[in-house]
Amino acid sequence: MNQFVTLLANGVSLGCIDALIALGFVVVFKATRVVNFAHGSLVLLGAYVIGRVHENLGFAGAVLLSVAVTAVVAALVGAVLLRRVRLAEPGTLAVVTLGVDIVLATDLTRRIGTDLLTTGDPWGAKVVTIGTVHIPQTRVAAAVVAVVLVVAFLSVLRFTDWGVALRAAAERQETASLMGIRPGRVAAAAWMLAGGLAATAGLFFTAFPSPGISGSVGQAALGVAVPAAVLGGLDSTTGALVGGLAVGLTATFVAGYQDQLSFLGRGFGGVAPYLVMLLVLLVRPAGLFGGKETTRV
Amino acid sequence: MSAASVAPASSARAAVGGVGLPLLRVRDLDVTYAGSVRALRGVSLDVPQGCVVAVLGSNGAGKTTLLRAISGTLPFAGGSVAAGSIQFAGRDLHRMAPAAVVRAGVVQVPEGRQVFAHLTVEENLRAGGLAAARRVRATARQRVYELFPVLRQRAGQRAGLLSGGEQQMLAIARALMASPRLLLLDEPSLGLAPQMVERIADVIAEIRRQGTTVLLVEQNAAVALELADTAYVLEVGRVALHGPAAHLAGAEEVRDRYLGGAAVKEGESAAAAKARIATDDGQRPVAAVPELVVEDLSVRFGGVAALEGVSFTVAPGSVHALIGPNGAGKSTCLNALTGVYRVAAGSARYGGIELTRLRPHRIARLGVSRTFQNLVLSPAATVLENLMLGRHRHGRAGFVTTGLRLPAARRERAAQEDKVRGVAELLELSAVLDRPVAALPYGAQKRVELARALCAEPTLLLLDEPAAGMSAEESARLAALVAQVRAELGISILLIEHDMAFVMGIADQVTVLDFGRRIACGSPAEVQRDPEVVRAYLGTPRREAGR
Amino acid sequence: MSRPVRLALGAVAVLLALAAPLSLTSFWLQTGLFVMASAVGAIGLTLLVGVTGQLSLGQAFFVAVGAYGYAFLASDRAGAGERVVYGAGWPPPLAAAGAVLLAGLAGVLFSPIASRLRGIYLGLASLGLVFLGQHILTNASSVTGGFNGRDAAPFRLFGFSFTATNPDVVVLGVPYGALERLWYLGLALLALSWWYARNLVRGRPGRAMAGIRDSEVAAAVMGVDVRRYKAGAFTVSSAYAGLAGVLFAVAYGRIVPDSFGLLMSIDLLAIVIIGGLGSVAGAVAGAVLVTALPLVLSHYSGALPFLAQPGEDGIGAAEAARMLYGAAIVAVLLFAPGGLAQLVRRTPSTKEQDHAQTSTGAGDSALPDPGRV
Repeated sequence: MNQFVTLLANGVSLGCIDALIALGFVVVFKATRVVNFAHGSLVLLGAYVIGRVHENLGFAGAVLLSVAVTAVVAALVGAVLLRRVRLAEPGTLAVVTLGVDIVLATDLTRRIGTDLLTTGDPWGAKVVTIGTVHIPQTRVAAAVVAVVLVVAFLSVLRFTDWGVALRAAAERQETASLMGIRPGRVAAAAWMLAGGLAATAGLFFTAFPSPGISGSVGQAALGVAVPAAVLGGLDSTTGALVGGLAVGLTATFVAGYQDQLSFLGRGFGGVAPYLVMLLVLLVRPAGLFGGKETTRV
Repeated sequence: MSAASVAPASSARAAVGGVGLPLLRVRDLDVTYAGSVRALRGVSLDVPQGCVVAVLGSNGAGKTTLLRAISGTLPFAGGSVAAGSIQFAGRDLHRMAPAAVVRAGVVQVPEGRQVFAHLTVEENLRAGGLAAARRVRATARQRVYELFPVLRQRAGQRAGLLSGGEQQMLAIARALMASPRLLLLDEPSLGLAPQMVERIADVIAEIRRQGTTVLLVEQNAAVALELADTAYVLEVGRVALHGPAAHLAGAEEVRDRYLGGAAVKEGESAAAAKARIATDDGQRPVAAVPELVVEDLSVRFGGVAALEGVSFTVAPGSVHALIGPNGAGKSTCLNALTGVYRVAAGSARYGGIELTRLRPHRIARLGVSRTFQNLVLSPAATVLENLMLGRHRHGRAGFVTTGLRLPAARRERAAQEDKVRGVAELLELSAVLDRPVAALPYGAQKRVELARALCAEPTLLLLDEPAAGMSAEESARLAALVAQVRAELGISILLIEHDMAFVMGIADQVTVLDFGRRIACGSPAEVQRDPEVVRAYLGTPRREAGR
Repeated sequence: MSRPVRLALGAVAVLLALAAPLSLTSFWLQTGLFVMASAVGAIGLTLLVGVTGQLSLGQAFFVAVGAYGYAFLASDRAGAGERVVYGAGWPPPLAAAGAVLLAGLAGVLFSPIASRLRGIYLGLASLGLVFLGQHILTNASSVTGGFNGRDAAPFRLFGFSFTATNPDVVVLGVPYGALERLWYLGLALLALSWWYARNLVRGRPGRAMAGIRDSEVAAAVMGVDVRRYKAGAFTVSSAYAGLAGVLFAVAYGRIVPDSFGLLMSIDLLAIVIIGGLGSVAGAVAGAVLVTALPLVLSHYSGALPFLAQPGEDGIGAAEAARMLYGAAIVAVLLFAPGGLAQLVRRTPSTKEQDHAQTSTGAGDSALPDPGRV
């Protein structure tokens, strides 16, 4: 029982981080209809910047710089590169982001090289104990930050002009432009937001108890974003949150009960989210909260 | 009149500068799509300050294109202005982005309402007001809620749940939030019940009274001419007629074509011709063509009935027309008959076989073929390749025989090609068989679709608005072709059309749908005189238009 | 390009290809084999994605089925006890055929799931298949050899062995070893694949599949059994992938699970898109570009001055190759979204044509879907 509660608590907190990653992924899709395969590299970029500069600028400064840099890079990718291929097939756009991902990931991995980078966060390896349940402090911080950011984002989406503009443009781009909404600006802002979310997620994704900042972080982050976003529904922010939680819980529980689940093979924890994703798609072909496409003939 | 009737702030400026100059000036406008399809040719138009100007014309005439050119949204549809100018209050709108056009004071209400279904009514209005300055928004909102009290009641509801009429009001209200000087309305009466159309007409009159200039694009000529000061009639991208609305309403040409007047005369002589064909054409294999019996057909989409209890019969070898306002359920009916939509109740039997339980390809194999309202050809493939797809159900070559180029597959292809070339010749497409479909003009593409449907050697042919976008001459040729096909092949034809001259000329029977129900059925002449039909579709002018 | 020019170029290419083993070194021969295998896999994928419009990222899974299928069927049992790796010991041609059939069967089994999914959801679901596949490959060690992989028996055709001996072959003074002989096997299989795919695309099934891509509804209404043709497209494309897997296994002699992951799927998709969706010749051209480029760069890294040697700071050859690969994908697609085939044919991109057709309709489109409508 104790193990279950511990796993639950840790799973939820990991799920919050995964939800942050998925949210960035979904924001871009919602606003621009592009599957951003470079999102994992953006997460890595965020973590990398923190890792490099936290000794000079302190933790807070490092985080701020990281968010800024990642947002700018994301905006560059979105605004500059993808605007040019506006008329192309969605598959083509996805492959373009793949190309960007390769360039970004390779360069970042090279820069990290064999250095052991840490995030320099103030919580370190400390653990919070509630009753008999142990949760790393970083995870608690992650959960708090995630909740704050998500609430803020959802509020912005619902209550501000920009949020209304984004939702309108996401639904009907041409009609939205008839209202004076500029799809280019909306898209650029969405990419920047995704970058900021990626940087924040990168911090918590590479903090204790994960092994640190290395080249494989990018792949791992994408490996979270895809099943989480898909099973929640690619164009649904609620879906991203639910998906992220689902992925985090799955990964944690599978790892926790690894001994009992050994018949499923070693490393099942990495694959389990994809299995869950496939099962959800079997029942709901557009994800849990995804919009249904209608055919008009 | 309330305080909200204060005209938009900028109208004071307009009153001072150039009373004689029209607010909107379009001169010699040429618009092309994808560089080849010419949608507008040399269109010139004047919209004076404070007036309502109507633009009439059938589908494909270029009305929406004209509005797109003004509002700057042509690039979304792949179009561009090739020549000419558009001037608004002295400023050139030609290369402005849509957002800039809105800020200049021109706002368009798009065709088909296009409300943001997932946003609430209030959020839709907010979206509409984004381009305007904050202090103006409050006034605008007041004005909008006074014009449309029902929207104030439904402010917190998701827009997707509103009725058609309420959505239209929301779309107009949304546009008014930007306090435009010129309001572009694209077919506001589309698919609305007559009473709703009257309400919208009242609203438009009120908007005009409050000082906003209106450019109204409409298919419902009666309502448009009622509201407008001047009117233009577009045909295949050109201005065919223009003048004061009252004059046009009385013009015989307008009455014939858009008010369904003279078709009765044509119908009578065509019926005689049809009778001739029927008696002396002994070759017509009537026995081989089954009867289509539709009984009590109902199709529902999430609680909304698109078709409710519709019944009609298509006699073997006859031409049966399905007419009615947009949104009446005509395309839904075709889709239900071809297995694209699932049927909620009722039956459709073709030669005794129940169609509603079959998947589309099985229905096709029974000899049912169709064309679509929005062309669905393979654009990059040649005309020949597209037509060959029509022969699919007559072929048997599969993955093995085709992949290995076995003689059976080669022989089959040669035979199919022969048949296809024959059909192509009938539809005058022989010259363009090797050209990619995308390179052909719109009218030719429509003929390719018809040819493809004929290549399937159907016994029942379903045509969804075959004459849409064609000039009067082209559509007359098409009507003759359809009659010829029917005479030579003896097949049954069920067609949807808005072009009354086309329908009345070749139809044996006409079924009229409105709001998913059948409201009339009979010969063309009978239906045209039916008061229900006149009210719902052909239009009741509030003043007597016919004299 | 006009027909006579194309034929002439084709003839030259064929002659060069046939004479290649006389002068190429092993590095180039193996690279070439790798390119051929990728080309076969890409042809299959372009049939699925380009012609039928089903976006699939799962090709690597079916390649793995083919590769491991051959390795299992052709090899004898090796090892003992805990480390046993089973094998069926079949004659290699039979094993190859069996592997291709297995891959096709896997395609058939996946297709009902695939039919229910649309557009990007199908793509990402098939990605899940790849990861699941890799997981199984790493864990089912008694069949697959686990993480370290397994050997694949060398190819033998009616006693003629595709190795350096048995029999000894010397052509124009050049001893023909394993790679040289495999080169011709690869060429033959590639030619066969190309020929079959072209026939399919130009014939009735190809038209039906293209109809499905352009409008499932219109195709169904013309009499195309959409479900059957989608299943057919999946089967054919996974069979092609299986054949590619067999070629990989035979060319390298050893296969590991790591090779059949996301990277391979991305590579194949990139090849197909760069070559031009639906173009068989484009798939081959794309394979040459995408597969050979990184290998060539790493091979010549010593000669390129701005590249760092291992151990130095700066951009090393492998990284430069990879980054150039990524940049090339982006560049080609920025300037030719229709791929190399579009450049050669100079046809307008399909999106513009769609807009031309719907010039009278309202503009907004719903969610993106490679299957349009």
